Amino acid sequence: MKSSSAGWGPQWLLKMSPDKQDTLLKMLVLSIAAILSFSTRLFSVLRFESVIHEFDPYFNYRTTRYLTEEGFYSFHNWFDDRAWYPLGRIIGGTIYPGLMVTSAVFYHALWFFNITIDIRNVCVFLAPMFSSFTTLVTYWFTKELKDAGAGLVAAAMIAIVPGYISRSVAGSYDNEGIAIFCMLLTYALWIKSVKTGSLFWSCLCALAYFYMVSSWGGYVFLINLIPLHVLALMLTGRFSHRIYVAYSAVYCIGTILSMQISFVGFQPVQSSEHMAALGVFGLCQMHAFIDYVRSKLSVEQFNILFRSIVLMGAVVSLSVAAIGTATGKISPWTGRFYSLLDPSYAKNNIPIIASVSEHQPTTWSSFYFDLQMLTIMFPAGLYFCFNRLTDANIFIIMYGVTSIYFAGVMVRLMLVLAPVMCILSGIGVSSTLNTYMKNLDVSRKDKKTSKKNVDHTYPFKNEVATGVVFLVTAFLITYTFHCTWVTSEAYSSPSIVLSARAGDGGRIIFDDFREAYYWLRHNTPEDAKVMSWWDYGYQITAMANRTILVDNNTWNNTHISRVGQAMASTEDKAYEIMRELDVNYVLVIFGGLTGYSSDDINKFLWMVRIGGSTDRGAHIKEADYYTPQGEFRIDKEGSPTLLNCLMYKMCYYRFGEVYTEGGKPTGYDRVRNAEIGNKNFDLDVLEEAYTTEHWLVRIYKVKDLDNRGA
Amino acid sequence: MLRFSLFIAICVCSVLANKRTLVLVDNWSIRETHSVFFRTLRDRGFELTFKTADDSSLALVKYGEFLYDNLILFSPSVEEFGGSLDVAAITNFIDGGGNVLVAASSDIGDPIRELATECGVEFDYEKTAVIDHLNYDIKDQGKHTMIIADSKNLLDAPLIVGSKNINPLLYRGVGMVADPENPLVLSVLHASSTAYSFSPDKAIDDYPHAVGKNTLLVAALQARNNARVVFLGSLDFFSDEFFTFSVQSGMSNKQFPKSGNEDLALSLTQWVFKEKGVLRVGAVKHNKQGEKEPPQAYTVFDMVDYSIEIEELKDGKWKPFSGQDVQLEFVRIDPFVRTTLKNSNGKFHITFKLPDVYGVYKFQVDYNRVGYTHLYSTTQVSVRPLQHTQYERFIYSAYPYYTSAFSMMVGVCVFSLVFLHFKEEPKEKKE
Repeated sequence: MKSSSAGWGPQWLLKMSPDKQDTLLKMLVLSIAAILSFSTRLFSVLRFESVIHEFDPYFNYRTTRYLTEEGFYSFHNWFDDRAWYPLGRIIGGTIYPGLMVTSAVFYHALWFFNITIDIRNVCVFLAPMFSSFTTLVTYWFTKELKDAGAGLVAAAMIAIVPGYISRSVAGSYDNEGIAIFCMLLTYALWIKSVKTGSLFWSCLCALAYFYMVSSWGGYVFLINLIPLHVLALMLTGRFSHRIYVAYSAVYCIGTILSMQISFVGFQPVQSSEHMAALGVFGLCQMHAFIDYVRSKLSVEQFNILFRSIVLMGAVVSLSVAAIGTATGKISPWTGRFYSLLDPSYAKNNIPIIASVSEHQPTTWSSFYFDLQMLTIMFPAGLYFCFNRLTDANIFIIMYGVTSIYFAGVMVRLMLVLAPVMCILSGIGVSSTLNTYMKNLDVSRKDKKTSKKNVDHTYPFKNEVATGVVFLVTAFLITYTFHCTWVTSEAYSSPSIVLSARAGDGGRIIFDDFREAYYWLRHNTPEDAKVMSWWDYGYQITAMANRTILVDNNTWNNTHISRVGQAMASTEDKAYEIMRELDVNYVLVIFGGLTGYSSDDINKFLWMVRIGGSTDRGAHIKEADYYTPQGEFRIDKEGSPTLLNCLMYKMCYYRFGEVYTEGGKPTGYDRVRNAEIGNKNFDLDVLEEAYTTEHWLVRIYKVKDLDNRGA
Repeated sequence: MLRFSLFIAICVCSVLANKRTLVLVDNWSIRETHSVFFRTLRDRGFELTFKTADDSSLALVKYGEFLYDNLILFSPSVEEFGGSLDVAAITNFIDGGGNVLVAASSDIGDPIRELATECGVEFDYEKTAVIDHLNYDIKDQGKHTMIIADSKNLLDAPLIVGSKNINPLLYRGVGMVADPENPLVLSVLHASSTAYSFSPDKAIDDYPHAVGKNTLLVAALQARNNARVVFLGSLDFFSDEFFTFSVQSGMSNKQFPKSGNEDLALSLTQWVFKEKGVLRVGAVKHNKQGEKEPPQAYTVFDMVDYSIEIEELKDGKWKPFSGQDVQLEFVRIDPFVRTTLKNSNGKFHITFKLPDVYGVYKFQVDYNRVGYTHLYSTTQVSVRPLQHTQYERFIYSAYPYYTSAFSMMVGVCVFSLVFLHFKEEPKEKKE
């Protein structure tokens, strides 16, 4: 679309040869798109400051700092005794190190050139920078699939698509930030190697795959999609030596490389998620062998041989699979994978998976919110791909269809869908424009073009074309506005600093989280253990530098469950648990005063569910926390179990004395819109240590055993 | 040098300081009637300050520091303490590490009862007494309240009660019961099974407050900060009279020339004022076997040396503790290792192998024996998993697999060489 604006360039441009003009324009458009994709992600930095956002990024930031300070081998062998007290966590072996290594490389490179940048700033700006790279890769990828025009449109689109921005704004220092780049790079190289059948591109593809594996658990999608593509090619009879070379090389090298990541380990040859790739690899060999044999034998001989081999093979592979599953060599289907296939699986079986909001199924509105007009242009792009099927097009079709399904299952996977939406829409928009641009009657300008023959079978050719071009342009303009608006309003909040609109229209900043974490850092003993719900674990370790019991890496369900039990029990029961775990401080998030709705009371039912999901918490039953009518209420009608549990008491301690809203009684909770039911109570085993300015974070100290006995 | 002398000064002070004692009495005559008891205390170096319980200048704290280390409450009938003293001040004093000896009598006032309740002991009401119709002394005046407590009823804790082979004890006063919820209360001396606690002048129309062996005559509490408190229901127990009386039961004719009161009083005061049964932890060391310094983190399967020095206060001096049953636990929520430490002249040590589970552990010595102060020492250490260089590089039993892998590689190379290069030639020759 933008390349079509060539005619209005300055005079010197016209003096260049069309080829050069073309290249210059492409580079111009591309670099503007790349810069745009970087700068549109800076809202949060401009509005707040250069901070790390949310929860997981704090862990990534902390590990990156450790990596830059201690070097790779200490990082690889890092045993973190500050988290998951008293179990500890082997960090080196339980993370994807790609992100940290990338930032460390950037950091050291910059320092080598005496650019003394702080590691925090490297982390904050890494995701925007990689989205610029993504823009470039998308262009290349789409160019390989279709043509340069489509590539430019796709690049411009992916620069600002909200579905991708949601995970890559400045400060959102998470695996996904670089993983999307790795994924598209791998795909592009895969297409390149499929098209050329060269070992060189295949090896590069395997390397890109290795980078992808090292940076995000989502690589599983990739290692299933590529085999699926190969399988589809086989079924459509497009299997060739090019594909054989490409897939065999990518699979072998890629698998061996991916096993070097200690978190991945032997999974590529054991777990069921990787079996498809292995199976297709075997099929490839068989297909190639059969082709070879077929070329040597007569048709009848071949048919007999083929049938017997297929039968044998089926029997052998089935029995191997059965034995493998029975002996546990092929690991059972993990929960996260099940929840991909069956959206209700996790909810029914694993509360810890279901409790994460980004694991919830996607609503229809969020498709439009995150992708806007791409949802409409996507089928158009598909149509154009089907129109002219090639090996590469089949790939992008499969990618589009599967990722649409996965994005529907889990909000988080919108991220995987966004790039393919951009690519297919890019193809769609570009093809549409290509078609209709030709029909435009531009004779007014260029007199030499002859109005040779007006096509009578196509009336109003020019008008229709003009209409379509205007329509598409309008679409693209609204898309730009929508994307910028969404980025600014929805995805640029760091969530560590909250802001709200005051009555007079000004911004109020709630900086309570950092206030509380710094209080912990400066006022508690170095080895104090802080209990909180797991959401805040990473932030506490990174910002308060204190030992915590559970964090966002939810690797030990029973330990989290133990904390859930403590929160859901009465004070006495909770005290036993807290003594057992050597807890010194308890931290809760409370939004009742400010109206911050994602606080611990609203998360409380998950604590109850997770707490009750293990043997030791069998006495905690979700039903006890509801009223007989089945409601979750915190007012006088609420269930007595809820009104006397530790979490309730910690949140509402002294809250009964406070006026929160005009015309309402004291202790009026502004999130639940109710007057609390249990007002004047004392804490027996805890004492209030600190409450932040807006009561968002409340910290309690666990009392010692009474000096003189019970 | 200055620091060193300061240290010595502090040490000297602390030895002396443990002896500052405030004695609160109902009236000055108690000094005379209990002169033997007070003299033995003075002889042992206690610096006694006598005051009446309603003295308006009473204070335990001055400028945020305690003025005394020990408190003797021989003022059972006090209705309100004088000065800044009240029950809260006394419990505060206990929580600050002060030791208290309380003797009550049948004229027990509210503050003393309240104080006892704070410490997990419940005195019977005013005007009641422990009555025993079978074990009373012949000097009793007909109400059977001057009872004989058998020394067999003493708690089996030599540190607190001294020898159990002493003459029977004379007792006249109010009874107590221990709070069953409170795990720290020790029943040092209980009455015999025929005793009960009730007002001697009234008809029994209600179930007595304490009956039989539940009736405590002497109760002790060692708080979690090792402050010690002893409650006696009988102020007369410490009197010169009771110390010297002969004991003869009203029922049998067995006679003892002298009561055991003085012996028990001696042992009790030695214990309550921390002259006996006081332990302290000296240096705690742990390191990998063959090394000197503790590492940043241990690795699973390490052999670890652990040693702890424990000293006991004997005759005012710290001597190596001679106990043989001190145990070490290596705890991560639950103990993974529990072992008895070897005592070599007060230095308890052990070498053991760390478990194969990584995590944050504590070396924990939790020595809790009746009579001794609670000795508790924890040291937190991390136990990390093996580093990537610490695993076996070549596993012996895997050699067949290594061979098969390498032979396979060689085979493929040879095969492809043959397949690619030597295939054409015979064809050419044939043709």
